[in-house]
Amino acid sequence: MRRRSPAQRALIAAGAVLLALFWFGPFVLVGIGSVIPEGNLLSFPPRWFANPPFLGNYRYIFTGEIPQTYLERGALRSMISQEVRLVPRAMLNSVLIATAVMFSSLTLGSLAAYAYARLRFPGRAATFNFILVSRLIPTVALAIPYYAIVLRLGLLNTHWALIAIYTVLTLPFSILVLTLYFRTIPAEIDEAAQVEGASSLQVLRHITLPLSLPSLVGTGLFTFMLAYSEFLFGLLISTSASTRTLPVTLGTLSTNPDVAWGLMMASIVVGSVPTLILVIPVWRFMVRGLMSGAVH
Amino acid sequence: MGDTTAPRGEAQALAVEQRWSYRWRVARSGALMTLPALLVIALFTIYPFWYALNESLHLSSPILGRRFVGLDNFRNVITSPYFLDAARTTLIFAAIAVPVLVVLGVLVALLLNERFPGNTLLRAGMLLPWAIPASVVGVIWKWVFLDSWGALNAGLYSLGLIDNYISWLTTPWLARFAVIVAFTWSQLPLVAILLLAALQAIPDELYEAAAIDGASAVSRFWAVTLPGIRPMLVIVTLYEILMALNVFDITYAMTGGGPGTATSLLTYYIWAETFKMLNFGNGAALAVVIALLALAFIAAIVRALPKEALLGEHA
Repeated sequence: MRRRSPAQRALIAAGAVLLALFWFGPFVLVGIGSVIPEGNLLSFPPRWFANPPFLGNYRYIFTGEIPQTYLERGALRSMISQEVRLVPRAMLNSVLIATAVMFSSLTLGSLAAYAYARLRFPGRAATFNFILVSRLIPTVALAIPYYAIVLRLGLLNTHWALIAIYTVLTLPFSILVLTLYFRTIPAEIDEAAQVEGASSLQVLRHITLPLSLPSLVGTGLFTFMLAYSEFLFGLLISTSASTRTLPVTLGTLSTNPDVAWGLMMASIVVGSVPTLILVIPVWRFMVRGLMSGAVH
Repeated sequence: MGDTTAPRGEAQALAVEQRWSYRWRVARSGALMTLPALLVIALFTIYPFWYALNESLHLSSPILGRRFVGLDNFRNVITSPYFLDAARTTLIFAAIAVPVLVVLGVLVALLLNERFPGNTLLRAGMLLPWAIPASVVGVIWKWVFLDSWGALNAGLYSLGLIDNYISWLTTPWLARFAVIVAFTWSQLPLVAILLLAALQAIPDELYEAAAIDGASAVSRFWAVTLPGIRPMLVIVTLYEILMALNVFDITYAMTGGGPGTATSLLTYYIWAETFKMLNFGNGAALAVVIALLALAFIAAIVRALPKEALLGEHA
């Protein structure tokens, strides 16, 4: 290790502190905001810490029990947004859709990835490039046609439409990552099985997939997160309360001038839980993949 | 002699035939295995693009029905002051946000490449902004910047730094600044981690050699670090340009394109034109324009990538 001068050490310390503030600051503020009674939040000058932490916002989201502080200040009662009560339902919708997308994207993705990694066939390079490039088209350019297609198929306000669209949006990623991973498995293992008379499909199922478990888990969780986070198509296609996804519910809530911000922030905390649980395995997989890819 | 060559010829012919039938089987399974994914992607890429192109050449109205109008929609949107305004806003946004992201990304990657207590915590912390849905990123930063009782105003006031609250989200340039901050927050993790990966791939010997030659830290950066991460810098820059052209969720949740049209990026403008104004023809024409713009960038990315970097040598 090189020795550092005091100036260098100060620079590193200052950078680390600034970065920590930038990364974590907004989350801390949201957490604080979710436990401050509405009256204190809106007051000028600010009185954030005048009262002990208040959990009424969280209780309202799950039970519908209107927080005491809102009743006291009768005028603010209308600011309680009924839509906040839809957050748990929206989370369920998002989790269902994202789980289905994960499985369909992995199934179609691993089939194609095996072919791109191992088999020679006409159009291999051209179709691979087409798949990758297809994802670079701005989604907003696809929004109108997708809306029209879904409308014509009568799938507006269904989970099926979003599952299909998110599968298309995540497939290029799954195919790319799985192709790169499958190629790291020694081809001799495949060949040994082929000599025994196994078909490509059997090799994929009994040899390649079991050997690629870490990569499959990582890719699957990543597609889950992409599907869980998507906003534009969710906004266009699921407009009814029973099918609306979490990002759409939270994103449109914030444009409602009547929303109570304490509730808004409690919703963000609640809605972020699934992503935060998943993010650690995803990140480990991605960082490891990127680092080894760069070294190689 | 003839006795020995004839069977060998037959064996060869048999071997050739076997190889051909093997190749045929491989090609068939390759095509069959890629078909489902290709069909789904093609259906949702080629058909929509054709649909948008077709729609952009027609005018649909509830009264007059649908009729062919040629390039009228394109003329309408390209000459519209709103379009020019949105295009200008998008260019300004990308021209500020992307360089800021890349410079900060290099700095953060350099920092995280050093050993210091808390490094692991910071690397883990990166995943938080990256993992949050972009619409929620917009909501979080809206709370920070909110004019009347946002966290930043309350904080600055409590510290005695300001006497009156600043109208962050209702002053055009401040609102643009706020959107850029939110975008940077959500994109910086990926940029920094990609650049960190590139940094760690630079061989230590290069630094040692530079140190022996008596190069200062700054000149080591210019002579060794920067050339080492240049390919990744190019990729990251182009990728972030695409991301900047794609921003929709953040502005939707944070500013709704406002104040006025100060933060109406092209994406937001297309969405508003189509689904608020219900002008599908113009919306489709805009979609075609932005898709062509993106294709130009895609071509640049493909050129920047080393040939066959992804598919391997035997393509």
